[in-house]
Amino acid sequence: MIRLAATVTCVALCVLPSVAAAQPGPRLEITVSPTSVSFPSANPDVSPVVAAAPVVVTIRIRQSSGPWSLTVLANGDLLAGASTVDITNVSWTATPAPPFQNGVLSKTVAQSMASGTGNVNPATNGSVTFRLANAWNYNAGLYTQTVTFTLSAP
Amino acid sequence: MFRPTSVRRRLAFVLLAWSAAAPAARAAGQPATATLSATISPQASLTLSTASLVFPDADPDVLNKVPAAGGPVTINAKARATQGQAVVLTVLASSDLRSGLDVIPASNVTWTASGAGFVAGTLSATVPAQVATWTGSGLHSGSQQYFFRNVWTHPTGTYTTTLVYTLSAP
Repeated sequence: MIRLAATVTCVALCVLPSVAAAQPGPRLEITVSPTSVSFPSANPDVSPVVAAAPVVVTIRIRQSSGPWSLTVLANGDLLAGASTVDITNVSWTATPAPPFQNGVLSKTVAQSMASGTGNVNPATNGSVTFRLANAWNYNAGLYTQTVTFTLSAP
Repeated sequence: MFRPTSVRRRLAFVLLAWSAAAPAARAAGQPATATLSATISPQASLTLSTASLVFPDADPDVLNKVPAAGGPVTINAKARATQGQAVVLTVLASSDLRSGLDVIPASNVTWTASGAGFVAGTLSATVPAQVATWTGSGLHSGSQQYFFRNVWTHPTGTYTTTLVYTLSAP
């Protein structure tokens, strides 16, 4: 009776780790540098589009197979007190393409910045340049907003 | 028959294997954030359709207000200001109208205006006269039709002065 009890205990504990070791979930790493993106002030007639310094987005994906995606979502419009600039006035260009792609920021739907399948190992760098459509009807002020990059694999 | 030592070994193996299979970076979605900032400074841009105004000679009994030849001056103003702040366009004569030693006060020049925010006025050589005012940022356009008060007492001559327009956005 005692030996039987010991065997059952072993089975219950040994099954779980054996599954985890054979089918590990995707390992995802993402870094963004720098984490501060600044658009300088400019005359809209001279600079209808203002570019910020490029941001390096580094991703590393280790998985057995399957798709992966990198999305970006703004947490709202650009804000300066009560003044707002619609976040759709911010676009980006990204290289290399593929896996990176150009796009326009949204505060409601995460936009695809890169996608692919399988591993990305070693890590790869994407150069992302954000651009602000410059206009006379913006109120003067210092506007800020955060954006969230999400690297995911099912 | 029970061998507790064997059970302890297996349990130790289980914990090690589980730890290796669950690294901190594993997740369905790995986030990273960045902060966007944009500096929008006050700016102003002003364009006039002409750089010169000419009032032709006329008989004061026939025409006591002589309109500027060429019609109205079209004005395009662009300004960026802080929210709720006034944007003001003014005009100031650098001096009265002069022809040699003869002087005609700048106040003999008036204008009518059209366009949102534009107002009629009288020229001055001492105090900037308001041409238009708006609130906040944006693009604005309008026009001024200048007139010269024509009277018999003006000495003959060709009179000139310079008008200085100032568009200010706080």
